[in-house]
Amino acid sequence: MTRFRRLFSSGGLARLRSEGATAPIVAFATFFALYIAINPEILTRFQLQTASNLVVPLAFAALAQMIVVIVGGIDISIGAIMSLSNVSFALLMVNLSPAIAIPVTLGIGAAAGLFNGFLVAYFRLPAIAVTLASFFIIGALTRELMDRPGGGISYDFFLATSGELIPFVPVSVFWLALFSVALYFLLQRTRFGRHVYAVGSNADGLEAAGVNSKRTILLAFMLSGVTVSIGAIMLAGSTLTGDPRSGDAYLLNSIAAVALAGVAFAGGRGSILGAILAAFTLGLIGNFLYFAGINSSWQYIIAALILLSVVAIPALVSRIQAERRKTK
Amino acid sequence: MNSLRVTISKTPRAAWPFVAFLGLFFIGGLIRPGLMSIESLLGTAAFAMILAVASYGQTVAIVQGGIDLSVANTIAFTALSFLTLTRSLGVGLALLVTLALGAMVGAVNGLIITKLNLTPIVTTIAMNGFLFGIILLLFRSSELATIPEAVSAVTSGRIEFLGTSFPAALLLGLILMVGLQLLISYSGWGRQLIVTGTSAEVARYAGISVDRTRIMGWALTGFLNAIAAIVIVGFYSQASPTMGASYLLGSVAAVVVGGASIFGGSGSFVATVGGAFVLGQVATLVSVANLGSNIQQLIYGVIVLGVVALYGRKKKA
Repeated sequence: MTRFRRLFSSGGLARLRSEGATAPIVAFATFFALYIAINPEILTRFQLQTASNLVVPLAFAALAQMIVVIVGGIDISIGAIMSLSNVSFALLMVNLSPAIAIPVTLGIGAAAGLFNGFLVAYFRLPAIAVTLASFFIIGALTRELMDRPGGGISYDFFLATSGELIPFVPVSVFWLALFSVALYFLLQRTRFGRHVYAVGSNADGLEAAGVNSKRTILLAFMLSGVTVSIGAIMLAGSTLTGDPRSGDAYLLNSIAAVALAGVAFAGGRGSILGAILAAFTLGLIGNFLYFAGINSSWQYIIAALILLSVVAIPALVSRIQAERRKTK
Repeated sequence: MNSLRVTISKTPRAAWPFVAFLGLFFIGGLIRPGLMSIESLLGTAAFAMILAVASYGQTVAIVQGGIDLSVANTIAFTALSFLTLTRSLGVGLALLVTLALGAMVGAVNGLIITKLNLTPIVTTIAMNGFLFGIILLLFRSSELATIPEAVSAVTSGRIEFLGTSFPAALLLGLILMVGLQLLISYSGWGRQLIVTGTSAEVARYAGISVDRTRIMGWALTGFLNAIAAIVIVGFYSQASPTMGASYLLGSVAAVVVGGASIFGGSGSFVATVGGAFVLGQVATLVSVANLGSNIQQLIYGVIVLGVVALYGRKKKA
């Protein structure tokens, strides 16, 4: 009981608030309540499974984008890395077992992160420009590997990534939860994790304290690349195919999810739970409208308005408070 | 030797992409002598000019230290609005309304960025999504096949020149370039925008109304995106909800290859045209050598990387 209370007083809620995760949690809770009210069927096994298969890859992409944003960067090539990993994995699965295909694909994600991170950290080039260049380069490589959807994903693999673990618990959510817990411990409980957050808020200060900030940035980009490729494997599993265009949508959506999660674009802040809930909210809007019988084109407008209100309302409140303080 | 170094260091940055463009042009001539002609030069220049025009709005955004990721759907939205409005309002009035719509989209971006302190990336991504929804709800693109003649005349219509001819869009793009360059280099507002892009704090100390300068900059970006939309519609004689997609990052690439700093405060319309010309000449060479669009994209990436490595280093704090 005391442990429970501690989770919700000091460590838990306070941390979530300081990481800016309150708004996405409230947004997600509201959204999900509405969703269940309109479509109680979501709680059936089949719908839970479809819905989570839809949003889990976006959650991985959002986490990957968040890691780069925490170290003060942004990744324009995230969709391209997603497509490359997705296509590579589908091609590897034609002849090889997942035990080989999965590590190789994660290696490809890490290599893409290494390329970006090396140029950003050691050459002091702006992340946005470096990843713009790798967007073109990785995109070219991907379409060279595969120019139309294909590959060899088996139904067994679909069951392993996108089926059900136990009734009412989709496997995809299980894998996401497992990864998130590991990421949580890596970012919040290790020296490397503290450096990741510190390098985003003050790289020079960290360097002065004797920490190798360049290596931290490089490793963060590589971790981000691996995270993207896990999302790409999940996507390949749920769609049973590799597609050179499959990652396209994740560029803007991953940035939107990270913004919705309240991650500061100046670096140094970001909540894992916030990013996942933000991705779930954005990813399920289209689905929600479909069941509410509304033209699903509205999803783009509603996503923009949710993003704007969730991000802008706290900004507006603090601005008004600041002005009131000034007049006093 | 020394004088050469001085010449090189005194050459304005905007000239370099044109030097590179001419270099690529001569390389093309070496590969295939037929390419070394005025026709080939003008052909490449016309296609490159479309990318340049689509990147003018992005130039303003990057000069003021932002980035516009709503360019794709601002182009599609204003293009489809223009074609729809033309049927009821006529070309002239439809043009005015369309340009006003573009400026309005940009001004809303600017208001959100300055008054709500949202980053330009997030704001313009939200705007891009918002406009996509509007496009899907409002327009049925199958009905929008007819392009007004006046628009075709100033874009895909051909102008006679030195015994050959080139699309009017090339001239239109050059006129826009000169006008915009004069505006940003010599008007008071243009200089304020550059100072704001270099450092908002310095601008504030200099007594510049930063928010107003910024909002006007974003409105200009939206306005220029609307102009781009009309030029694209005229030049390619088609419009669709996804017509702007390739300009989303293509415009950023053109501005960066032109030598602008991604952190703001530098960059010019002349340089953007130069950047677009380099990318356009690469596309010509790649297609002549039959290497395919993947190689073209690969080279684009390498060029962006090369230019960023030359100019884009973060200053050590």
